[in-house]
Amino acid sequence: MALHDAAIVGYAETKIVPKSDRDVWELGAEILENVLDRTGFEKGEIDGLILSSSMTGSGNCFWSQTTADQLALEVDFCQTVDIGGCSPVGALARAAAAIDAGLCTTVLCLYADTQSAETNQRQRHFQGEWTVPVGLMGPPAAFGFITNRYEHQFGLDYAMLGKLAVAQRDHAVLNDNACEKLRKPITIDDYVNSRMIADPVRLLDSVMVCDGASGLLVTSRKNAERKGLTKIVTPVGYGERTTYRASEAIVDVTESGHMVAGQRAFAQAGMKPAEIASFHPYDDFIIAMMIQMEMLGFCGHGQGCDFIRERDFTFRGDLPLNTGGGQISAGQCGLAGGGTNLIEAVRQLFGEGGPRQVANTRNALVTGIGGIPYARNWNSSVVMILTPNG
Amino acid sequence: MTTINDTLDIPREAPKFRSFSKPFWDGTREKKLLLQFDPAVGKFQFYPRATSIYTGRRNLEWREASGCGAVHSFTIARRGRPPFQGKEPFFIAVVTLDEGVNVMGNMVDCSMEDMKIGLRVKPYWHALPDGYHILIFTPER
Repeated sequence: MALHDAAIVGYAETKIVPKSDRDVWELGAEILENVLDRTGFEKGEIDGLILSSSMTGSGNCFWSQTTADQLALEVDFCQTVDIGGCSPVGALARAAAAIDAGLCTTVLCLYADTQSAETNQRQRHFQGEWTVPVGLMGPPAAFGFITNRYEHQFGLDYAMLGKLAVAQRDHAVLNDNACEKLRKPITIDDYVNSRMIADPVRLLDSVMVCDGASGLLVTSRKNAERKGLTKIVTPVGYGERTTYRASEAIVDVTESGHMVAGQRAFAQAGMKPAEIASFHPYDDFIIAMMIQMEMLGFCGHGQGCDFIRERDFTFRGDLPLNTGGGQISAGQCGLAGGGTNLIEAVRQLFGEGGPRQVANTRNALVTGIGGIPYARNWNSSVVMILTPNG
Repeated sequence: MTTINDTLDIPREAPKFRSFSKPFWDGTREKKLLLQFDPAVGKFQFYPRATSIYTGRRNLEWREASGCGAVHSFTIARRGRPPFQGKEPFFIAVVTLDEGVNVMGNMVDCSMEDMKIGLRVKPYWHALPDGYHILIFTPER
């Protein structure tokens, strides 16, 4: 797959809010209008539509074609990607693949979910039989297992997790699209002393479910050149792994599929972790970011706390981290939330970070995490490396 | 000291099993822990599936297991949905059974001080509606 033959020519993002009073399709329409405005494309030039998963859309098994109809997009390629929080980054990879295969030329990747206002999910999964009866309430408990296990195997300095939480919060303060309720600075003490949700997972480890939308307009590089678009961002490396170590009964929950997905992405991009200019990992819980640092090879397995101690994760630092605040400090737009850090990475590479613009825009690394399996780590892991390429 | 709920007073529903997991739940009627075993590789698996996680074949057997093992990890649930809501906090443990699978369960007769990774546990069968039981764990003493 010639991933780098695809070009992101525009992005858009709504304000992230709790309980949106605007319909999910109204948010989608805002994204469509904004990417048309900023790229100069006409609606009729969009011939592909790829949606992320959406809790609001989950009651409709015709979600992508229904949304195409609502937005009056006549397309030659139409699908929803359903790998949870990996869906937005996965959608970009699928857009590049579809363009490369000649199935379409210009794809709107649309990530829209109003989960807090309207969730329609009725999942068919293992939980009803195996985890609901023990009172397990979703991801926080699963990350409680992961965190306790990590501490048992390697030791854990919670102040270092707090350092990541503080850096992200400071970024959210600078992000006008972040959920207003979260735009207040916090300290490491605030993090450590925040109340337990599922020990040792704290309130300030966790995302708050919100509503919002974002999207990318992706076209062939050739088309971008033909139209004289000089500001583009190109995917240069991608890796994806679902159900890491599915054929083993017991897996080390301090490992994830990001190890194999990351190796593939770095090899395809011809890069090493030390070359990454800014890091935009999926953040449903703070410790997930540390585990990803280890799995991606920024540091060794079990050495995350030492690595965090040595580095500066602010937008001015040596490894800027989720410079829009991440989902934890900007709010999680349901299953579209994987788009938040992706759009921020593209914004930074376009040089449009405003008061939080990073200095080094040679590249950015974005990841996804999707789905919580039974007594394992997480279901899907994706890794995408982006470069600006005008 | 915060006391932790042993979850025995929480009304739970009868199991919602699938065609391929019914033998597990039928076993609980007699307080037997039945696990799927793949004779081709000599390994157990949990939770029950329609296929061997090892080979993709369906030649699985049901074998009775001890239900004894050691705590692999755990969390203290501070929030729950009904019927657990208002009954927090309670333990959810992931136990590595001696048969080599991880199983989740609540804990009975286990204090905050008792709980640690590596704690040896044994089964405590708690009654559910319709004659079924749920596997809970209790420290081996």
